[in-house]
Amino acid sequence: MLGAMDYREADRLVTLFTLEHGKLKGVAAGAKRSVRRFAGVCEPFARLRLQIVLREGLSRLQGADLVTVFPGIRRELVKIAHAGYACELTDQFLPEGVSNPRLFRLLVSYLERLDGASFSASDRRFFEINLLKILGYRPALGQCASCGMELTGEEHYRFSAAAGGLLCSCCGRVGPSVSPQTVALLGRALSSGRFGAVTFQPTSLREAGTLLDEAIAGHLVRPLKSLLFLQELGE
Amino acid sequence: MVHNSRSLTKLVGELKKLPGVGEKTALRLAFHLMKSPANVSALAESLLEVRARVRFCSTCFGITENDPCSICTGDRDSSAICVVEESQDLLAIERSGAFHGRYHVLQGALSPLNGVTPAQLRISELMRRIEAGGVREVVLATNFSVEGEATALYLTKLLKPLGIRVTRLAHGIPLGGDLEYIDAATVQRAMEGRSEL
Ligand SMILES: [Zn+2]
Ligand SMILES: [Zn+2]
Repeated sequence: MLGAMDYREADRLVTLFTLEHGKLKGVAAGAKRSVRRFAGVCEPFARLRLQIVLREGLSRLQGADLVTVFPGIRRELVKIAHAGYACELTDQFLPEGVSNPRLFRLLVSYLERLDGASFSASDRRFFEINLLKILGYRPALGQCASCGMELTGEEHYRFSAAAGGLLCSCCGRVGPSVSPQTVALLGRALSSGRFGAVTFQPTSLREAGTLLDEAIAGHLVRPLKSLLFLQELGE
Repeated sequence: MVHNSRSLTKLVGELKKLPGVGEKTALRLAFHLMKSPANVSALAESLLEVRARVRFCSTCFGITENDPCSICTGDRDSSAICVVEESQDLLAIERSGAFHGRYHVLQGALSPLNGVTPAQLRISELMRRIEAGGVREVVLATNFSVEGEATALYLTKLLKPLGIRVTRLAHGIPLGGDLEYIDAATVQRAMEGRSEL
């Protein structure tokens, strides 16, 4: 469940990311009243097994069995904020009705990680760069995004969201600076399929954060509301 | 839609803005009103009266005709404040008769997905009431949705360091509820919040 809001008298309007059919919008009729069918399940980032009638426009939820509401996430504000951000990011990047099992698995893994492990800001960056990769927006880290020269990873490079990656020292004079350590960590985050495999140290976390924030902002149609919330919490 | 009456079209348009009212219901209501002129004046009058007289209490932000409201000025336990999202929630707790302290209505809940931040709620007003002294317990009665829980967690972070007792409404199996039919999330929470007998 990527998002849900009240709709009409007793219904919920939901945005779902399904394994088989990708993103869908649907109506859970009576979700606010019917305790048996939907109570407590039409909630952001809950994982469900759904019975759904697919329709053009708004699909119809027939029933939903809860797999988990991720109780560990709901016990910590910072985790709620990051889970909300991950769901909104996925929602905005994903076109409707196109299945994307890799992104589905990435999001589920991230939510499970938030739910079960203590909070780590590295996980957010791990999620983001892998999301970009899966969607075909992987930033160029191995060669200059402008002239194509191979980057040996021995000096600081500049990042350009417009160019789509790092720039060599000739092509890039402005923009956020990225250290070789950070480039290496980002590379490892891309090649490792497991949360927790890569931990960014404070400097690298800051550099990777700036790079990814800019890369993501470059592809967004409208600003993310959940990002505002994260900033409010000082994240 | 209502081809030959501009004013009727306008009324239907206004009715449709109400929550839960669609085109068909709006038309039905409009035709019903037209058939009973007495009701129309009474309805119009009470709408205007509500708008003129009902306001938010400047202390608790519940709805009231007198500011401050009767709960804030009455002889209720002023050492306990129950925090709710909306005025309707205050009424629900009052109906139960289970709480004898005062209230604070946040007028919303934090929402990471809708970008509702603390500044958009009546949180600073709550903190000012507490800084004024005399409050020993804050009962967090926000909803058990993601938004309500986020709000409760945020307030806990603000209030705990002040040495105030912070409590949360229990959450679990409804009275008369048959375990077999209760959703897993509720059972999960009820188990977590189980209490000693
Ligand atoms: Zn270059
Ligand atoms: Zn009051």
